Amino acid sequence: MEQPWSWATRPPHTWRWALAVLVLLCAACGHETGTGLERVRRAGVLRWGGDAQGGEPYVMEDPEQVGGVRGFEVELADALARELGVRAAFVQNDWSNLIPSLDRGSFDVALNGLEVTPARAGRVLFTRPYYVFQQRLMARLGDARITDLASLRGKRVGTLANSQAWDLLLRVGAQALPYEGVQEPYIDLEEGRLDAVLLDDIIAERYGQTRPRLRVVGDVGEGHYAIAVRPGEEDLRAALDAALTRLARSGELRAIFQRWHVDDDAEQRMVDWTEADTKALLADTSTAHLGWGQAVLFLQAAGVTLLVSVLAMAVAIPLGVLLALARLYGNGVVSRASTLYVELLRGTPVLLQLYVLYYGLAGVLRLDALSASVVGLGLNYAAYEAEVYRAGVQAVPRGQLEAALSLGMPLRLALRRVVMPQAFRVALPGVTNDFIALLKDSSLVSVISVVELTKRMTITAVDVRSWLVPGALCAALYLAMSYPLARLARRLEARLERG
Amino acid sequence: MIDVKELRKRYDGQAVLDGVSATFARGEVVALVGPSGGGKSTFLRCLNGLESFDAGSVRVGGDTLGPGCGRSQGAVLGRIRQRVGFVFQQWHLFAHRTALGNVIEAPVFVRGLGVREATERGRALLARVGLSHRESAYPAALSGGEQQRVAIARALAMDPEVLLLDEPTSALDPERVGELVDLLAGLRAEGLTMVAVTHEMRFARELASRVLVLHGGRVIEEGVPDEVLTRPNHARTRAFLGLDRSARG
Ligand SMILES: Nc1ncnc2c1ncn2[C@@H]1O[C@H](COP(=O)(O)OP(=O)(O)OP(=O)(O)O)[C@@H](O)[C@H]1O
Ligand SMILES: [Mg+2]
Repeated sequence: MEQPWSWATRPPHTWRWALAVLVLLCAACGHETGTGLERVRRAGVLRWGGDAQGGEPYVMEDPEQVGGVRGFEVELADALARELGVRAAFVQNDWSNLIPSLDRGSFDVALNGLEVTPARAGRVLFTRPYYVFQQRLMARLGDARITDLASLRGKRVGTLANSQAWDLLLRVGAQALPYEGVQEPYIDLEEGRLDAVLLDDIIAERYGQTRPRLRVVGDVGEGHYAIAVRPGEEDLRAALDAALTRLARSGELRAIFQRWHVDDDAEQRMVDWTEADTKALLADTSTAHLGWGQAVLFLQAAGVTLLVSVLAMAVAIPLGVLLALARLYGNGVVSRASTLYVELLRGTPVLLQLYVLYYGLAGVLRLDALSASVVGLGLNYAAYEAEVYRAGVQAVPRGQLEAALSLGMPLRLALRRVVMPQAFRVALPGVTNDFIALLKDSSLVSVISVVELTKRMTITAVDVRSWLVPGALCAALYLAMSYPLARLARRLEARLERG
Repeated sequence: MIDVKELRKRYDGQAVLDGVSATFARGEVVALVGPSGGGKSTFLRCLNGLESFDAGSVRVGGDTLGPGCGRSQGAVLGRIRQRVGFVFQQWHLFAHRTALGNVIEAPVFVRGLGVREATERGRALLARVGLSHRESAYPAALSGGEQQRVAIARALAMDPEVLLLDEPTSALDPERVGELVDLLAGLRAEGLTMVAVTHEMRFARELASRVLVLHGGRVIEEGVPDEVLTRPNHARTRAFLGLDRSARG
């Protein structure tokens, strides 16, 4: 199935999901039917979409050729194009948006470790598979509790969301945690944040089995990679099916696999593959339906969002106050340290900070995902709160502090009793603003496998093949959290104003 | 009570206090007069450590403040400020506290007085300045004269031995000046030491036992009000008091 990511280069995905919703809405307005094959032949190019940000061995940038790509899927695309009498052209596209981009017509086919799942099969035309992979279960060396699929009940297991493995884990009652990268689940397994990882054997071999503290429990299922074609372009699919079969029969397909060390006995099935097999594989188009069960999951996810936001703010506010006071009243070193903190945390992406905190410092600081989310967002937002409070303190006339000092109050007492309460009034609108921003920014913690509201929405949307209802539900829940907060803050402001 | 020796302070190379020495005895009421920019406010603020200085010393009772604002002076500052009250020209009442809240804040949080006792005493002080009926008003809702009286009550709540006042009459109409003089005369009768910066000669005459004239960062003249204010020796004092003009006129 899916695509290796390098963690340092992975960009935030939240807004892309929103974009995907828009793209889908537009795509729904008019589908160009007719023949994809003709178009490809006329152009003389088979444009195939994939993500070169992934690593070995799927598609990756070619170090020897600027702008070029290499990988077993690159060779496959070249061979397929040759069979169709055209040439292949790679189109770079963010992996998680391959299908929306295919819908929109950015390329003719998506070919990049796309697993055949019922949800995807309902949205695109899949060719016959070109690769069969094993779902490989891995655990820590010393952990004898994990023996097979059934032993995963109640355990924390990392995998990719919207995969067969995900459904499999939910069926056996495991606590499935969604990852988008391929390194992170294994790091978390080593660190004890996960009990097991269930991923494609290609990924496991390269990113899991290289870690000495982990062991292979076994292969507990299999999956298939196939090429996605736009709905309505049955002729293109038929041509690709035929070409794939020719490549498999001639031995060229397995020769490619061998060159990239992804060949094994199971791939013989790709050679013997029949149309009946394809029918059987694609027969299951069952879709999850939005029901009360999903609604409960949404509410739970909203609870996680609220919990993370409130706790992060509870970290950010006192720390922000301290930073503001350190900057304004501390001696040279303290004041400069505070300024440095603010500039550093404001000036770098919070996503990067979360990664560093959770994965970068994993060796020294063992935080679970929820704590890391709270601490990461809290530390980041403290920088913003510090600035809000600094502005608040500076808005309090100096005479207020002098009056307090002249009554014999030590500086700290004067700040606590006289300056800060007045600064808080000034800061309140800014703090409210930041809190609402934090509610939404908390969706970033999904990169460290926390299922909060936005993540829940994307998982469900793919499962039920519709963005509309999950998207609306998600938006409604965010509003239901932020609007009362805004109202409360306005009331508080009005009260302070009168006071 | 207060002993000031050779106080010097510069702002941007400009000497604001150029070697000021003065002694204020217990129970004495001293008026500080002089032309605008002569350093009166700066001098007053040095007396309770709101302003640091470059050279000289300020001794209050047994505590001595030296130049700079070193950390080691923190304890000294605390003790001095509890003995020396300050009434600002702009009063600076705590904007988020009621009149009564302003008065009891320091007794409760600096002295550790119980809230009930502090409230009782605070009410008595507000009654004394004639503001019993305004105890739960916030500063924004008080007139200038009322704010000033709350500020005085707030300073008195710490039982200071010395009260410093910066231009207490500047925002008052003549009737209110009369009331203030009465109030301060009562405090003088109780033995409170007071140092007031003022431009109001009637105020100086009626209250002060001594007048200091500050000009260009120096004390250029001092003496009893009648002497200094009617027959000043120094030309600058005469000019400042407008006596030259009336002499010519
Ligand atoms: N923070 C400051 N920075 C620079 N110069 C200052 C500062 N505070 C006061 N000064 C200068 O010091 C001098 C004395 O100021 P000060 O306020 O003590 O005078 P004053 O005698 O109280 O005058 P007034 O009667 O107008 O209140 C003035 O020239 C003023 O400009
Ligand atoms: Mg002044």
